[in-house]
Amino acid sequence: MKGKRHRLVILTIAILALCAGTYAPAPTHALAQAPKYKEAPMLAELVKAGKLPPVGQRLPEDPLIVEAFESIGQYGGVWRRGFLGPGDFNNYHRIVYDALVRYSPDGTKVDMKLASKIEPSKDYTSWTVTLRRGARWSDGTPFTADDIMFWYNDVLLNKDLVPAIPTWMKNKDGSTVVVEKIDDYTVRWVYKEPNTTFLLELANKDSGDRVYAVFLPSKYLKQFHARYADKAQLDRMVAEAKFRTWVELLAARNHPPENPERPTMAAWVPVTRVSDQLFILRRNPYFVGVDKEGNQLPYIDFVQFKFFTDVASLNLAAIAGQLDMQERHISLVNYPVLKEHEKKSGKFRIILWGAFGGGDASVTFNQTYTRDPDLARMFQNRDFRIAMSLAINRNEIKESAFLGLGEARQPVAAPWHPYYPGDAVAKKYTEHRPDEANRMLDRVGLDRKDAEGFRLLPGTTRRAIVELSVVPVFGPWPDIAQLIAKDWERVGIRTLVQVRERALHFTMRMANDLQAEIWNQDTSGFPFTGVPKYDPRSLLYGTITTGPLWKQWYDTGGREGVEPPAETKRIVELIDRGRTVGPREQARIAQEMFRIWVDNMFEIGTVGLTPLDQGVAVVNARMRNVPTKLAKDWPLRTPGNARTEQFFYKK
Amino acid sequence: MLRVVVQRLLLLPALLLVFSILVFLLVQAPPGDFLTSYVSMLAATGSSVDLAQVEALKRQFGLDQPIYIQYVRWMESLLKGDLGLSLEYQRPNRELIGELLLLTVLLALISFVFTWLVAIPAGIYSATHPRSFLDYALAVLNYVGVATPNFLLALVLMWLAFSHFGISITGLFSPEYVQAPWSLARFGDLLKHIWLPVIILGIAGTARLTRIMRANLLDELNKPYVVTARAKGLSEWRLVLKYPVRIALNPLVSTIGWYLPQLFSGSLIVATVMNLPNIGPLLLRALISQDMYLAGSILLIYCFLTIVGTLISDVLLAWADPRIRMEG
Repeated sequence: MKGKRHRLVILTIAILALCAGTYAPAPTHALAQAPKYKEAPMLAELVKAGKLPPVGQRLPEDPLIVEAFESIGQYGGVWRRGFLGPGDFNNYHRIVYDALVRYSPDGTKVDMKLASKIEPSKDYTSWTVTLRRGARWSDGTPFTADDIMFWYNDVLLNKDLVPAIPTWMKNKDGSTVVVEKIDDYTVRWVYKEPNTTFLLELANKDSGDRVYAVFLPSKYLKQFHARYADKAQLDRMVAEAKFRTWVELLAARNHPPENPERPTMAAWVPVTRVSDQLFILRRNPYFVGVDKEGNQLPYIDFVQFKFFTDVASLNLAAIAGQLDMQERHISLVNYPVLKEHEKKSGKFRIILWGAFGGGDASVTFNQTYTRDPDLARMFQNRDFRIAMSLAINRNEIKESAFLGLGEARQPVAAPWHPYYPGDAVAKKYTEHRPDEANRMLDRVGLDRKDAEGFRLLPGTTRRAIVELSVVPVFGPWPDIAQLIAKDWERVGIRTLVQVRERALHFTMRMANDLQAEIWNQDTSGFPFTGVPKYDPRSLLYGTITTGPLWKQWYDTGGREGVEPPAETKRIVELIDRGRTVGPREQARIAQEMFRIWVDNMFEIGTVGLTPLDQGVAVVNARMRNVPTKLAKDWPLRTPGNARTEQFFYKK
Repeated sequence: MLRVVVQRLLLLPALLLVFSILVFLLVQAPPGDFLTSYVSMLAATGSSVDLAQVEALKRQFGLDQPIYIQYVRWMESLLKGDLGLSLEYQRPNRELIGELLLLTVLLALISFVFTWLVAIPAGIYSATHPRSFLDYALAVLNYVGVATPNFLLALVLMWLAFSHFGISITGLFSPEYVQAPWSLARFGDLLKHIWLPVIILGIAGTARLTRIMRANLLDELNKPYVVTARAKGLSEWRLVLKYPVRIALNPLVSTIGWYLPQLFSGSLIVATVMNLPNIGPLLLRALISQDMYLAGSILLIYCFLTIVGTLISDVLLAWADPRIRMEG
């Protein structure tokens, strides 16, 4: 009893500590009392012409105040970026990061954005979200609690639109979390048990990945919703757009990059579509943010995405200084050329943003592989996996594939992250010790070799051949695979590198056909939210292949699939508990989880903390307020967490 | 002859129906479906997609239906004269293909004209002045032209332009004209950009045609009718152009049929490298993402062009060489 109360006190303190950091400051008095807001010249002209209400009327009563990274900016300019067509819509989502709350630049806390305040109840079972009073959508219609209730009642709870309720909106018993309207600007989420990851989840409900955001322009979207629209008219619209059902129509009309007419709350709103040759965004005259001096943001007038059919030509454009702030699709291999032209042309500078954690190329063995039982037994052997880790020469990989950037490590959170489990865990089994690896392999029954010196599977005359599948998407992965294969063959494990087209690789992953693969562990800072790679229940899609049949076991309540080992079950337990406790306890749980992960070598890390994936930023020499230090990860919507609205061109 | 043309045109829908089934099966052949490649594409840029989300998308894109239903769905819209909806773009295919097709045809036609304008005179010169210095010079150029993949040529030229002049020669329009509606100014801008892709695309064809023209003409020049005509005092210039050249052109004319679709597909890599707003990259993209309705529609257009092209070359051949008869 005493222990329980004690825990609750710690929990309370911890959560308060978290929340203190997450609340936006109360409206600055100077601003609140004398709302002398200033705006961009292009908007001032529209106001003068009577086409737009004055800036004071467009901003909410308590605007979002954005701290500039370097200095107060100047208005104007076009931010030129490159993109790779309609499939690259997350490029847009990363730039605008249009959410109620958003991650801080260093990625360690959540700040208010469209919401002005979010408070948990004492027991953390309910969260009250307060919106900025008087905020408006980009078309001028008010932004209210109804826009959240429309998402909840008419989208989330509509089986046609959302066939399966996402995990974060489900209670432990599987029921849907209740969302209720308190008043026009207040909405409350009510959970059945404590939930301490609410803010972390909310920070990613921004319609990235085409998931419905938790706030939708209800007034605009109702015309496409079967519950509100006139049936005949709706059918006509569906037919005109060549869709089959209103569900497809609503989904397409709701996605800002596909529909310039859809109002948004972001700093810039689309004026063309992502399927056009030029995808253009224009400043949102109703954006809720101002700088410390009351200048309405953003500073930059337009964002222009130019379509490139090929990543190489996009990189050439960046080298030629035709892109102003681009990190997406810039390949690490071009870093030396970019550096050379940085000096030569003087048009841009290069900033490197290191990974937020994890590994940038890690090897996973499929422990539920079924096609070859002997091979499967080998993968399931912990000592085998440790031996494979010790056999890898990580320094060589770092020097040749990562140009010397990053460090040899296991795929766990970064040293500056609260979840960091310490050097002992992060560096475990990373030394290059082929002799020890050889000894371990001998010990696990792989002691017999064939004429060519390759080891035989225990109790058979068959050679142990591992197929390492790799997809050429994140820079030099195929090269890394070759280096690893060479290291493994030195200790007698024959390794075949299979470079595969990614859809094929994914199909095989889902079919449980992969033996081993190279992928990254990029979301290590977020083991409790989103789709964590450590959680066997979220395996398969875009994650890693530790044990696809474990997932099936969890999905079917143990009826099908393969029962995971005790350590994996423990990880699941820890993840679930982490979702209900305060940050300090959360950190402790995460560290324990990482320890289990590394001790068992569920995933073999090679090199991490590199700028490999979208971390080489080419920045126009005149562009300011772009942070030189920034946490980089998809949950952070990098560079969205850099507060893109305060980027500007120095005149 | 009219009867043959009409017959062929009547056969067209049946052929297209057969092609549509083949094309659909081919596009569906690789493992996985649109969603697999969609999810893998997202994962390859750092996203991790929720399974619930994948289920929702599956329904939204109609991929929960069996393949034949998906084909029937496409067929239904095809019969209504509509190319269906692209899964990836969420836009009608006709809209996507529309302007790109125009630019593609324009690029192909100009390259075609360029090829003939250069190849025929060069071939004639080489044949009538065999073993001259210019003949050898042309031969060397031709071999280089045939041997160099045109995308490589594009890459080299692009790099030279960038490293020496600091300009990047990609695309067909300046930024301000990319989205602009058609106008004289836009067309002018197009002409400013189109010549380089035209040369790159045309160069291999030019080299090949020059060699064919030279060989054919050399064959003809020694034939008795040429000797007779020359003996009768016809001027050399008229003599060569009036008979042997016309006959030597036959193989060129008969290849127009597959030359058209070849220019389309041949431009795929060049267009991708040079960032041309051409139908090639759209097809490539559609095939990679397994956007079956879009890829199917483009391939069907290719089939259509091949059939029409063959018909055109047959008609031209009959017209150019009276010895050829057309029978049903």
